Amino acid sequence: MTGSPLERLTKAELLEMARQRGIRGRSRMTKADLVTALGAAPDATPDTPPEEPEPSGRRAALTGRLAAMVDPQRHCTWRSPDGDPCGLPVIRGAASCGLHGGIDCFDVATAVTGRLGFDAWPALLRQLRMASYDCDPIGLDPVVAELVWHLLNFLYFDYFHVEVEGIEHVPLHGPALLVANHGGAALPYDGAMLSLAVANEAERPRRVRVMGTEIFNMLPVVSHLFRKVGGAYASRDDASFLLAAGRLLAVFPEGDRGFQKPLSEAYQVQRFGRGGFITMAEQHSAPVVPVAILGSEEVHPAWWSSRTLARLVRLIWPQQRVETMGVVLNPIPLPVRWRIKFLPAVLPAHPGEHPDPLEMLERTEQIRGTIQDTLDRMIAARTTLF
Amino acid sequence: MRRILVTGAGTWTGGRLVQHLESRPDVQVRAVDEVEPRLTFTSPFRRVGLDRPELAQHLLDSAPETVVHLFGWDRGDAVGGTRAHEELVVGAQALFGAIGRSDTVRHVIVASDVAVYGSGPRHPSIFTETATDHGGRGRYRRDLLDMEQFVAEIGEHRPAVTFTVLRFAGVFGRNVDSPLSRYLRLATVPTLLGFDPRLQFIDDEDAVAALIHAVDHPVPGTFNIAAPGQLYLSRILRLGRRLPQPLPKRAFEAAVRGLARHDLVLPSHLVDQLRHGIVVDITRMEQDLGFVPQKTTRQAVLAGYGRTEAEATP
Repeated sequence: MTGSPLERLTKAELLEMARQRGIRGRSRMTKADLVTALGAAPDATPDTPPEEPEPSGRRAALTGRLAAMVDPQRHCTWRSPDGDPCGLPVIRGAASCGLHGGIDCFDVATAVTGRLGFDAWPALLRQLRMASYDCDPIGLDPVVAELVWHLLNFLYFDYFHVEVEGIEHVPLHGPALLVANHGGAALPYDGAMLSLAVANEAERPRRVRVMGTEIFNMLPVVSHLFRKVGGAYASRDDASFLLAAGRLLAVFPEGDRGFQKPLSEAYQVQRFGRGGFITMAEQHSAPVVPVAILGSEEVHPAWWSSRTLARLVRLIWPQQRVETMGVVLNPIPLPVRWRIKFLPAVLPAHPGEHPDPLEMLERTEQIRGTIQDTLDRMIAARTTLF
Repeated sequence: MRRILVTGAGTWTGGRLVQHLESRPDVQVRAVDEVEPRLTFTSPFRRVGLDRPELAQHLLDSAPETVVHLFGWDRGDAVGGTRAHEELVVGAQALFGAIGRSDTVRHVIVASDVAVYGSGPRHPSIFTETATDHGGRGRYRRDLLDMEQFVAEIGEHRPAVTFTVLRFAGVFGRNVDSPLSRYLRLATVPTLLGFDPRLQFIDDEDAVAALIHAVDHPVPGTFNIAAPGQLYLSRILRLGRRLPQPLPKRAFEAAVRGLARHDLVLPSHLVDQLRHGIVVDITRMEQDLGFVPQKTTRQAVLAGYGRTEAEATP
């Protein structure tokens, strides 16, 4: 044992130090080489000052929150069958890292290395290669979810400039449902942005389990990627299982009626399905948080809603069930400014009971009305689209 | 002296169960199968076709207290064929008919398979024992449903008899030779491009342990038997250091047919599981049946690939 303090650092941390000190050829070095190179040039001044962009307040707060969750001094003792160590920092106040039982990684959104960034990718990809952890029964894969979280944060902070209001209404523990309006016609950005809003802004970043239709289970690639980032199939069984496990669900009860509507009907919240989410909330005593999302409709504006297009798609793909499809002309999403407003939670009226159908419809309609009113006020207050 | 009749003792799991039971001093085992047993045991073995009336007569003659009916499960390549259908359905009918006539039988354990749930895009992501039937491909699935239906019917007529139905997840481990385990052990594993199913297994020794537990603890009802934890197929192949070969749907189907010509028949219910995955809820197994497997799905996979080094978990 040489006991060099450098050897206790992970390779990612050593690489970061090497980058700051301008050591050439660092990307091809092994960990031992890095330790030698850094030891040989201990006082070298950096060639260029680190070009970190000035972090915005929210982003800095997120970085701080994520960094505070791990203890970089101690490392997880998990070992693979080949004897490879896990090497990730342990969760503060726990004995192991975020993947190996330090925290309920299927509920809390953690960055397992303590930060979101490309410098964390080698450590994450190594965990993927080692297959060192199990997924959730529904399919959440914490490492893939973290990679996607990091990538989509570009859209969240820099492209859509998502502004969030009322994040304190999202419960920090236990089962809950987020109920939001749906729009977008091409890609469900609203589900992604809603998950990121909770993961990025909430005091205790939680994973949002977005419920999607069976189309997510049928499409190649999407079928497993959607599950790995935390999606579930919108059915009573899945919702029941997740709520019983105390997870935070996001549902878009409008379904494809809301998703495929043309721009002329933008932000007119459609009928809320059969209101199954209220039944679920009552049975599992879960609060319902209505969410108004402004911005989703203009990213890929659907100029009109076409029955012919839907028929054509059904011809190639008979399982597809939509009756109309929005016609979208822009392949690139427009950089619309998004606003997400979380409204005060609606508590279950008769916890643990099965509500009668009429009351269920009334409560569904009440939540739909709340979201519609909030959206109308948000549109009136909006000064610019971009 | 407790008499136990084991049908389907020819497979590894059946033979292992007989070996375990006959080592007990107070147990007398009779074994039945229509193939020669893979493992050797000393208990009397009778080779009889399951769809023959001899089986019913044999059951009445041997007058057992406990019947372990393994015939519907872990039959390797025979699953899904016409002959297997005959044995599974007609054999079960004959056997349960005989149980209905017998006055000695007190406890019947029936091995079924999680294939009864089917696997598809509109199926729940996790199946509880009470899940409604969402349909699915494969004759094996229908046969198992028929068999479980017989169990339910005979259970109504004979309330004094305890019926335990165990729905096993895929068996993987050091010893089994099932189509799924042979598929996973291929050097290059054809997978379906764009799909990465969640799979769950039970270690082979744990599967036998579950049967023994059910023999010792007569609990009525239907239980999923699977190890805790679930893994994506891509991670399973990583753990086994196997090379995945993702193929588009047509090419994958051709590869499955090609494997069938080389004695590795993947029945359609397994092909569906390799597309949409299957995970079952094991709360009832742990709480009501009281059985806890020794190995997790991960450990079963590592054992199945012959990698026995224990993981040092913190």
